[in-house]
Amino acid sequence: MEARKSLIKIKPKKYKDGEIVQVSFMVMHPMDTGMGKDKKTKQLIPAKYINSVKFNYNGKEITNMTVWESLSVNPVFTTSMKINGAGKLSVTFTDNTGEVNEQSTKIKPKG
Amino acid sequence: MQRRDFFKKLGTVVAVSAVIPALGFSADAPAPVSPNKMPYQTAVDAITGGKKPVKSSKIKLKVPEIAENGAVVPVTVDVDSPMTDADYVKAIHILSSKNSNARCIDINLTPANGRAMFATRIKLGGTQDVVALVELSNGEFLIAAQSVKVTIGGCG
Repeated sequence: MEARKSLIKIKPKKYKDGEIVQVSFMVMHPMDTGMGKDKKTKQLIPAKYINSVKFNYNGKEITNMTVWESLSVNPVFTTSMKINGAGKLSVTFTDNTGEVNEQSTKIKPKG
Repeated sequence: MQRRDFFKKLGTVVAVSAVIPALGFSADAPAPVSPNKMPYQTAVDAITGGKKPVKSSKIKLKVPEIAENGAVVPVTVDVDSPMTDADYVKAIHILSSKNSNARCIDINLTPANGRAMFATRIKLGGTQDVVALVELSNGEFLIAAQSVKVTIGGCG
């Protein structure tokens, strides 16, 4: 299966150790509720939505979310994080059809 | 004789053309129901476990007053909290009062977050309240709500 397009953004771009930064995670996902209809075939579109998102920083889970279908198409999850040494931030997300994906980024504090 | 045949054929054509649209309408499925249907009050009770949430000015809920498109409504929740091991925000729940599934997202935070902030975009089926329910580490619940006017619904 083709991996879903996703992106992790950290604001500000340059940060120091101990600083609190804003982390945004974006995914390309249809987030179908199971209530919408296809305009051409008039058939119900089956539900397909992300139901779990987990933020891991250096192997420690810092945030986990339970998600339902009422999030927008191509959802964005913005939260904050305290920088605590260099390492890796990885985001794992699962959807209701059992699709699991992972995206990660390197954390490199300066100064 | 030719005239008689013509009327016979015309009769069948009229009958068939009358049946086709009738079939087309009856093929429509009944109104769909959300797979995780949960009304607002049940969702609040399930989260708080019967405790009464307190209205608090510590929660800053940022939602547009008028949303042109219900499919994309930006929501920002910012909670005033020190986020230390002794006192931190355990969870933020974003709910909508009239969507067929009132729950939108539950965020479980830890002191490693540094700041109790969360932002996302949600779908709203119509004009209703967006509610932020916050659980503190000492077991207390705080609540904040704001009504959003939706011009075009976003569900379905």
